[in-house]
Amino acid sequence: MYNHRNPLPPLARAGHIAHVKHALASLPGSQVNLDASRMAIVFYCVGSLDLLGVLQDETTEIDRTSWRRWIWEQYAGGRYGTGFKPGPFMTKTSVHSDQESPHLIMTYTALLSLSILRDDFSRLNRPGVLTFVRACQNPNGSFSSMPNNGGDSDLRNLYCAFCICSLLGDWSCIDVERAIAFVASCRTYEGGYGQLPSCEAHGGTTYLALASLRLAPPGPRARLTPAERARSENWLVHNQDASGGFRGRTGKASDTCYCFWGGAALQILGAEDKLDAYAFAQFIAACQFPFGGIAKAPGQGPDPYHTYLSLAAVAMYAPRLEASARRYGQWEFTPFDPLLNARVETVRWAREHIPARRF
Amino acid sequence: MIPAPPPILYAARAEWADIVPVEQYEKANPLAPILYSAEYKDATDYLRAVVKAGEQSARVLQLTEHVIRLNPAHYSAWQYRYETIVALQSPLDVELALMDELADKYLKTYQVWHHRRLLLTLQPTPAAAAAELVFVAKILREDEKNYHTWAHRQWVLAFFNDDALWAGELDFVDAMMNRDVRNNSVWHHRFFVVFHSGVREGEEDRERVVRRELIYVKQNLSLAPNNASAWNYLRGVLEHSRLPFATVAAFVTAYTVPHLADAADLVDVENPPPGPGAELPCAAAVEFLADVYEEAGGESTDKAVQLWKSLADEHDTIRKKYWEYRIREAMSK
Repeated sequence: MYNHRNPLPPLARAGHIAHVKHALASLPGSQVNLDASRMAIVFYCVGSLDLLGVLQDETTEIDRTSWRRWIWEQYAGGRYGTGFKPGPFMTKTSVHSDQESPHLIMTYTALLSLSILRDDFSRLNRPGVLTFVRACQNPNGSFSSMPNNGGDSDLRNLYCAFCICSLLGDWSCIDVERAIAFVASCRTYEGGYGQLPSCEAHGGTTYLALASLRLAPPGPRARLTPAERARSENWLVHNQDASGGFRGRTGKASDTCYCFWGGAALQILGAEDKLDAYAFAQFIAACQFPFGGIAKAPGQGPDPYHTYLSLAAVAMYAPRLEASARRYGQWEFTPFDPLLNARVETVRWAREHIPARRF
Repeated sequence: MIPAPPPILYAARAEWADIVPVEQYEKANPLAPILYSAEYKDATDYLRAVVKAGEQSARVLQLTEHVIRLNPAHYSAWQYRYETIVALQSPLDVELALMDELADKYLKTYQVWHHRRLLLTLQPTPAAAAAELVFVAKILREDEKNYHTWAHRQWVLAFFNDDALWAGELDFVDAMMNRDVRNNSVWHHRFFVVFHSGVREGEEDRERVVRRELIYVKQNLSLAPNNASAWNYLRGVLEHSRLPFATVAAFVTAYTVPHLADAADLVDVENPPPGPGAELPCAAAVEFLADVYEEAGGESTDKAVQLWKSLADEHDTIRKKYWEYRIREAMSK
């Protein structure tokens, strides 16, 4: 049995910095399955450095300039608007515009990564991005990752579309109410949301659903009834298990990524006081890999995805840690925005620089 | 054992000599570059080339299969393969047979399931749908909680919406439940089949259906009381049917106290008692009973508060803050 009142072990900041810097420099061939989502990996790595507050100290202006340049190299446009691709894996080859298409999730992660790197977004074709987002919406309100029902469609894509509209400050390109109806159709009797209508409640998609409802402009009525809100809150707090970590589904084992999804969902509901922040941090501390990076569970291997989401999870709950934990200065973070999934300061930069200038 | 010989690269094959490979275009300082194997680099050089040329042929099917086996998350290879199958009017049963193997290998990849869905949509026949359910059942036996696989089953049922398909679904749920009564995916699937898929033949009498489901979940709880999935199901059935939680108060109460010494020998189908080995009191039952008291309001609120206190201090301490919040909320009403 865990004893959550034990002192919190140190957060091995230097090891986590080394882990993500190493991934930015190169990934082994065994991780070739990340080829079509490199932009997301870049976001987890650059985002980790941002959360740890070391971007200025641990990287040079030359690094950051060249990283921004790489991200902009993935900027693509075509018949269906402009956005970002995951990487160059299919670049500069196609007569088929579909093969050059931007990707919704990658566009969201690229916009956040560029904000972290304090890009001025002077190159961003805003109407082009809105055209692209519009082209990804399906008749049932959901979004596909690529235009015209291309790629898979589920709540991940809908959330990214909402983030992009929110960052651009323009919702006119999509049918918001239809999208909200799609989100509602993913709700289950447990109080969480599934990836698609009729799917099992899942921590990741519940975060995406609740964040999307909050990001959306106000509608004709409240997005959640008090009873629905209470049920969701209840399901979410029950996902924290005795280890202090969060599981993604009823009856499964805890995983650091669900610490983020579940913890952030509770923040969005304004229920951040209702979980045991100390036990939560204990679980994440136990998932630190001895040589840097954070794994999904104790004793497993680390990766940038779990490293970033673990750091983001503790960043949200650090202010709620007991004084004995603060003694370890490593467990302190600057404010975090659970809706867009970035540091508040980074979100401020994004909101100042991404929308079209109004004259 | 003799190791398998390295594959012959496309660059060295006479039948591909007409294609000029297209290397990945990446300027200096790539971010998070992957150290590709020679085989992957060669295969994708040729994939980029055939896509650029717009070639759709049998050898493109072979090439895309090769790339997919090296990287099943390569969505462009999947997309181009699908377009090529449509253009060539390739036999779908052959493709589905290949997909049976690939889905099995790459269960957790979005693309394998997306591709299956596209294929089934191309030629939606009842026979294909029935075969699909058999395939999914086989995969679920290997990985009983795989999210994509369950999602696919639910999609097949909803998309084809054929009475013959639905007919066997509750038996399938029972078979899966017998393997693991704590598998939440199975409970969720049962809810979907019984309540969210429309009313089918033999299920018109909804009152009878609700009664059947309540007995089903209660009997399950009596065998395994500390099963969060079953408690959630019980709540779900009551809420969906707009029945008060108090409907099952008599059943729940027996799970909130230590074992009764004089446990009745009477078999009460409506209120099966916890089995002899059960760990009692059961935290989920205590929570449920507190909800019953809260629902009743008035003087019963005190009883709810007592139960929440016992959860906060003894039975469910990890959620102490949550139970304290529930107490504050109830007291302020």
